[in-house]
Amino acid sequence: MKFKAFLTESGVSLLERRFLPALDKMGKICHLFFTKDHIHFLYNLLSGDGFQTIAQFHKETLFDDYRISSQNEDRIAFAIDISLLHRAVRSSVSICSEFGAGGSTASRLQIKLVKKLPPNSTQPMPFLTFETQGYKSAVIQDIPISKPLSRAEVLELQTALDMAQDLPETLVQVPDLNQLQNFIDRMKHVGDLLNVSISKYGDLHTQIATTLIKLGAEFRKLLVIGEKATAPSEDQNLSAQTRSERAVLRGDAQSVQVSIKHFSKSLQCHLAKPDCAFYGIAPQGACLTVIFQFFIPGTRQTDKSISLHCRLPVLDPGS
Amino acid sequence: MMSSSATDAETPDLVCRLDNVQGMVDALSAVRWKRHQDAVIELSEHGIVLIVEESGCLQAKVYLQSELFISYEYAAQGRPRFGVSLGLLVDCLNAFSAPGHSSLIEIRYPGPDMQLLLKSVDSPDACIYAEVRTRIPEMISWDYNFQPAGSTPLTFTVKSAALKEAIDDLEWPGSSIQIKLQPDPPSVTFKGEGHGDLQIDMLYYVSTDLLIAFHCDREVSYRYKYKFLRATTSNIPSSVIKDNRGSKLTIGRGGMLKVQHLVSVARTSNQHPHVESAGYQQPSRIAYIEFYVKPEIDEDNVND
Repeated sequence: MKFKAFLTESGVSLLERRFLPALDKMGKICHLFFTKDHIHFLYNLLSGDGFQTIAQFHKETLFDDYRISSQNEDRIAFAIDISLLHRAVRSSVSICSEFGAGGSTASRLQIKLVKKLPPNSTQPMPFLTFETQGYKSAVIQDIPISKPLSRAEVLELQTALDMAQDLPETLVQVPDLNQLQNFIDRMKHVGDLLNVSISKYGDLHTQIATTLIKLGAEFRKLLVIGEKATAPSEDQNLSAQTRSERAVLRGDAQSVQVSIKHFSKSLQCHLAKPDCAFYGIAPQGACLTVIFQFFIPGTRQTDKSISLHCRLPVLDPGS
Repeated sequence: MMSSSATDAETPDLVCRLDNVQGMVDALSAVRWKRHQDAVIELSEHGIVLIVEESGCLQAKVYLQSELFISYEYAAQGRPRFGVSLGLLVDCLNAFSAPGHSSLIEIRYPGPDMQLLLKSVDSPDACIYAEVRTRIPEMISWDYNFQPAGSTPLTFTVKSAALKEAIDDLEWPGSSIQIKLQPDPPSVTFKGEGHGDLQIDMLYYVSTDLLIAFHCDREVSYRYKYKFLRATTSNIPSSVIKDNRGSKLTIGRGGMLKVQHLVSVARTSNQHPHVESAGYQQPSRIAYIEFYVKPEIDEDNVND
């Protein structure tokens, strides 16, 4: 089992400035999954339930000189503490810029999988090693990782990953992530459970309802991807709640209940600076999905080499 | 105008619109001294009054006069009163105030189920709404009937920031704080005795920018429970300190202490720190906050 690659400059900045800060908010332990062409950061895919996050990069987005080999169809996966990874990348960047300032050759950041004997131990342990080559010196950082996953576990991870790819039938685009996050963060003081309904008309309705209060927000006329429908004109002057109830009855909307903490967490992905975000409810209300899109810099074309999405567990299958 | 289906049949007691939610949040937060507090709201043609009370010894009122609102349509007979959870109301209002956005909200009472209804009305395609359940007020408001102590009032006005600082400092000596006013030399003394002694003297002529006004023709002194004094300044909005405002304290008959703060509810459309600062806001854009604190009963007097 071998893995060795050089992080490109844009790959480093993509990870350091955007994805690692966002992923850091998703949880402590993450599975890193390398295949022949892709690198995945996966949260909670093996446990099956819970808040799942999936970030996927084409190898060329992050690396050059990417070499992987394993007896399991060149696939390697292990668990890593994302905050350690974040720290290692950050300090490598500062080392690179220090040495880089000296001039001569551009320093390169190599990562590889190694087995080493840690101090005071007789058992060799696996590490993900960052090696920064400067002009006359090298800095090496070892991040402890789990034992690489077994063949069966990798298969399970791959299956879970494949299953997590199906899209909701209707997705609506969130107009302003910051504004929504602001609102949800304030809503957190009022209750724990959030009802989310999404209609084919382009309505996104979020509501907290307790015995003492109902607090909600409705966003209408959002961009819809997938199944669309025209909003009936007689629904125009109704309250947000009645409107979404009627849309559900008509079969034009779905409604689920999620933890407001999970919803807020999904919005933390804005740290990765996506260009747009879409929410949708998976068929049969299996989960609430949020998909972030990234554009090729300077264009409005989706960059297919980067993908990020979260799946929020549904607490109550709802209607 | 938007219409809300169920309430159309009857004219609600109150429909009003406000363009500065943050100001209202500030004003209501000022009387929030603990997590769970029941409040009573009273509506009238003059505005909205919110009352909170504790242990029969402390009462606070927030006056949101009708002039604070962009529109204020009052149609009730008598003065409707209802109970709400203060914490919930503040948290809920907070959801309407996003930084960088001046949000326009409509407040309506009662809803079809006697709720207090709130909704944002500035954008047709994005709406925030809330329905806050109200209660029949159980609290029999003990009458804090505040009367002047004599022919001349016993009162002083102190910079709100200095008052808060003094009361915060008195936390250490603890439970019971004496407030003494004396005409010669004109001064106010806060004195705490407990785990230690701490005395804070504010002299009128020495520091006129600390004590802004002072009226006292005879020496008076009363003791107040520290926790109640603290409640009067613990949540004073930062805008009050920033605007460099003063708080007015008056001692009435029997030693009842009245503390008054002014909170700006002016629209903060320009977020520049230098604003046309202190005091230039129209007086109509001020919310009045009053606390009434009963003195501790002097043991000597009880024994008499």
